[in-house]
Order: sequence, then structure tokens, then C-alpha cells
Amino acid sequence: MSEACKVSAERRGDVAILRTDGYINNQGGEEIAREAYAQLEGGARALVLNLEKTRIVNSIGISILIEVLEKVMDRKGMLAFCGLTPTIDKTFRIMGLAQYAEIYPTQEDALRGVNPQPA
Amino acid sequence: MTGPAPASATARFDELWSRIGAALHTDAPLSSRVGEAALTATGAREAVLYLKDRDAWVRTGESGPVGPAPGELPEPLPTGVYHREGDLWLPLTAEGELHGLLRLCGVPEGASDGAALLGFLLGSVVATHRLSKQVRDAEFELKARLLELESLYDLGLSLGGQLDLSALADEVLFRSISLTDAGKGTLVLLEESGAVLLERSVGGEVVSARDAASWSLPEGGVINNEAAAVPTGGLMLSRCEKCLAVGIAVPGRRLGILAVADKESRDGRVLDFTATDARLLSLFANQAAGAIETARLHREAIEKERIERELELAAAIQRQILPRDLPAVPGVEIAARNRPTRQVGGDYFDVFPLSRGRLAFLVADVSGKGVPAALLVSTVHAAVHLQIDEAKTIAELVGRVDRHLQKYAATRKFLTCFFGLVEPDTGTLRYVSAGHNPALLRRGSGAVEPLGATGVPLGMFPNASWREETTVMQPGDLLCVYSDGITEALDAADEEFGLERLSRLLDEGPPARICDSVFDAVSAFAGDTSQYDDQTLLLLKRA
Repeated sequence: MSEACKVSAERRGDVAILRTDGYINNQGGEEIAREAYAQLEGGARALVLNLEKTRIVNSIGISILIEVLEKVMDRKGMLAFCGLTPTIDKTFRIMGLAQYAEIYPTQEDALRGVNPQPA
Repeated sequence: MTGPAPASATARFDELWSRIGAALHTDAPLSSRVGEAALTATGAREAVLYLKDRDAWVRTGESGPVGPAPGELPEPLPTGVYHREGDLWLPLTAEGELHGLLRLCGVPEGASDGAALLGFLLGSVVATHRLSKQVRDAEFELKARLLELESLYDLGLSLGGQLDLSALADEVLFRSISLTDAGKGTLVLLEESGAVLLERSVGGEVVSARDAASWSLPEGGVINNEAAAVPTGGLMLSRCEKCLAVGIAVPGRRLGILAVADKESRDGRVLDFTATDARLLSLFANQAAGAIETARLHREAIEKERIERELELAAAIQRQILPRDLPAVPGVEIAARNRPTRQVGGDYFDVFPLSRGRLAFLVADVSGKGVPAALLVSTVHAAVHLQIDEAKTIAELVGRVDRHLQKYAATRKFLTCFFGLVEPDTGTLRYVSAGHNPALLRRGSGAVEPLGATGVPLGMFPNASWREETTVMQPGDLLCVYSDGITEALDAADEEFGLERLSRLLDEGPPARICDSVFDAVSAFAGDTSQYDDQTLLLLKRA
């Protein structure tokens, strides 16, 4: 596994998809926060964090993700996670991230989740 | 205080609350909110907030058009509103504790009235903020402990059914790094011999696999927070500042090492690993040890099953190849038998009745065991049956079989072989011994003559050639051709059956009876000692 977590972003309308690759620790969390805040400043309403290529998250990374989540909530935005390993999925649920952010199996599911179709 | 003169003290108090509340109720950081609230309430030009960080007072933020030049904190710290060089120092207190200091510059004349109350209000804000953060941190810590417990439980469940060592290693290493907040980690698993079975690292190598093999556990089984490059228990913990390492072991055997390094903090410092971390890592290592041992036993069982299947296949090949019945040839009596060992070697014998009453025969011994040896025997069998009618002499036949093997044999193995052709009418025996054990020719007088090798084993060297020898078997002479499984059969004292014992068993009796005697004698000699070579014997007597 690579030493430094890489974060790439893709914008689809007012939704920003952030893909991580590597360990979400202090450095990885900061990378995510930097990109997330840039996207929010750039007008993103919702963030989708795709963690398909991440297999480890530590508590520092989680605390940074919570900060990102709080920032998104302050702006009345949405945050969704997808592509979590079963271990990370359970970690997020226990640590409270799933309380305010939805967790979806796939990126497509997450995109549908943050872009609800009118009834 | 500034602003339009309020109608009453109550109204003034309400307005103060209102202004402070508005300034405080924003998304800005605490220091900005406190500073802005103070500026709003007092009309001061600039505000600087000092908060206590661990044991030091730290300038945390400033408000106003331009931050004032740094100034020394009053000594001793003021317990009440304090004026110095035109600045107003406001202690922020709550519940009798000093939570912060606010330095206000450019405070309008008379605006410091009620500053003590402002200090109390802002002190309460700072204290509440801190308390709230402490509660959140405690809640986070509690969830983290719950996560540890859940992880231990999950790891136990997941490892219980995990037989893939690679996946198992990842699972243990990932959880170890994650739950100790380590920046990196390494897991090394060792073979029983001490050789490295598997190595995994995340974020960089903490310990090299080579070192892990020679590492001995220190007292207590844990290395904690040793500085980089300090050998501990023979282990050089390189490329890290602080580490935590535990052995993975079952009673009486070391299975590997699990090491994590450089515990992270939010502010980028490398922290010491805690006793909780050490306990957690030890628990992971214990769980891993049980699972690794289970996986190893499972792997061994599969390997054993594979070998059993291979042996069955090899035995089936051998059974198909060995002649079921020996031909009746006038002028000679023949007896032959093969006793395969459990490991199925590569012995092969065959007899070929030829024109003019002649009889060709061979005993071969292929190097190696199992399916590869059985396949080579199969190739030799096919080659001999293809070439025996083409070759004019035994030497030519052996050469043809050798070239066939050099060209088509799937494995680079070789075989020794004794190939003979007897003419019962005249007793002429022509033979080639390709590196085979000396055949024994027992004369009617009882003398035993060895018939030694006339060339190298087959399949060993390209373009090799073999010398064909000729001798005459008189009526009553007995030829004994055997594989080394007979003469090298071992007894409990590791002594070989030997040529001498075999020679003594060759008498003037019928070959079938002698054959039985030899096998009985070898069995009696070996007793319960396991034998690792096939035993083959071919006896040919001129009537």
C-alpha cells in the first residue's frame, strides 16, 4: 500500500466526488479536508467520498472526516460515503459518522442518494 | 460601555447580552467570536485572546483592524480587570478558574465599566466551549474503545474461518495500524524453519523480515517506544521514531512478529504508544497466532491430500506398466516381482519374447519418486516397446531409448537399467548395464559373478553410448537382476541388506521360490523400518 493517501476530485454539477487511494490518517484526512473545503468554496452542495481504494482509517482520519462533515452540515449540504470495506463501514457506524452522512455500497448509489429524484 | 444611552440598567444589561449573543453566535472560531464580542461590547479598537494550552498561555487570536504588537503577559496574571499602558487586561473566569485573558486596546473612555461582568460572561463561554470539546473528546474516546472491542470480536470471528494466510495477515495488520493510530506497520510470518513465509508492510517497513527471523522476545514479550535503530532483542527497528512490537507465537514456537510505528497525533507529533496500545496489539497477535496455526495445519492437510492423490496416480501408472503375467519361454524359467513403497518410486521391469525363441528383459530404476518418476517410467516403457523390433542389438536399443528420452521426456531425470537378451538354445546372454547395480550370475558351481555397468545411466548425457557384453549361461545358471531397493533396504539400525545377503539366497532352486525367499528375507531384515525405495527382482534360469 502506498505511503501517502492520494485524493482526486471530480465535479458533477453541484456534487463533488472525492476518491481516496491509501491510508486515511492525519495526512490522508488533511488531504481530504483540503479538497473538500475547496469544493465547498467552489459551490459544491454535496460531497461523495469514494473510499474504494482505502483499506485503513485511523482515529485521526475519522476526527478530520467528522470536521468535514460538520462543515458540510453548517452549510446545509450533504455528505455521502461509498466503496467502504466492511471493516471501515462498521468503524464509521460506531464512530458516529453514519449518523449524519449516508453510506452507500457504490458511487452510483451515492450519487442517486445526494440527488434525490422528485416524486 | 458604548452605544446609545439605555433608558434603564435592566435595558442596558439586556442590550449587552443581545450584542454579546449576536457576536458569539456565528460560525467563526472561538477566539474570533470572543474577540468580536468584546469589541462589540466595549467599543475597543483591537482585542487579543490568550488561552491556556497545556501549561502555557498561548496567543490564540486577535480581532480588530490590525492585531496589536505582541505584549508580555502581566506578571502575576491579573485576577481582576487590569490596566497597563493604556490597554485593558480582562481575565476570563468561570467557576473560580481562569480560562483566558483578553487584552483590549483602544478602549473608549468610561467603556470599561462592567468589564468584570463581561470577563465573567466570556469566561463562561470559553469554559463551556472547552467543556463541550472535552465531552466530545470523551465521547469520541469511548467510541474508539468500543471500536477496539468490536474489532477484537470481529477479528476473532473473521480469523476463525480464514484459511488464506495472506488475507489473514492483511486483516491483522490493517486493524493493528488503524486502532493504534500508527503511521506504519509490518507483519512478518515465519516458517517452522525460521525462513520468512510472508511479509506485509503498510506505510513503510518497520522491521526487516531478515531481522524478524532472528529476533528473540524480550521480557514481557513487547517492545515499546524504543527509538529508531536501537537493537532490542536482536531486532533493529529501523526507519521509525517510536514503535510497538510483539511476537506472534504459540507455545513452543515463534510464528512471526507484528510491529507498528510512529503513533500519530492531530497536530503532527509522534506520540508514545500507550499501555492500551500494547495490550491491544498483544491481543491481536494472540488471535493471529491461533488463526495462523489453524491455517498452517489446514495447508499441511491439503498438501498431504495432494501427495496422497499423486501417489495413488503414480501407483496406478506403475500397475498399468508392469507385466501382469510372465511369458512361458522354452529353455528358461523366469520369475519377477515388484514391491512398491508407499512413496512409489520408479522401478520397472519387463520381458519381451522375440523371434527364434529369444527373450529380452530389463530392470530399470528411475531417479526420483511420485508422478514425475512414474511418467518417466511410462516414457521408457513406450520407447522400449516402440524400438525393440527396430534395433539390431541391445546396445542399439539402449541408444534409441536414450535418444527418445532426451527428446521427449517431460522431466530431466535419469534412470539406471539392465537390459539383457538371452538365446535359450545356446545360452548366449547379451546385455547392457546403463549404470545399474551389478546383476549377479550364479553359476551351477555356486560361484556368483557380478555383471557390472557397461555405460552411464540413460537420460544423463546427450550422445552417450553403451558397450554390449556377452557371456554364456550354462544349464542351471541363474541370472539375478534387481533394483537397489533390495540391496539398500534398511533395518532398524540403518544397516543395508546388502549384496552379500542377496548372493547367499541365490541357489539351484526354481526362480519363483528364490524370488519369494529374497522378498521374505528383505521383509524380515527390515522389520518395521519404513523403506523409501521400490524393490524389484527379476530371476532368469537356464533350464
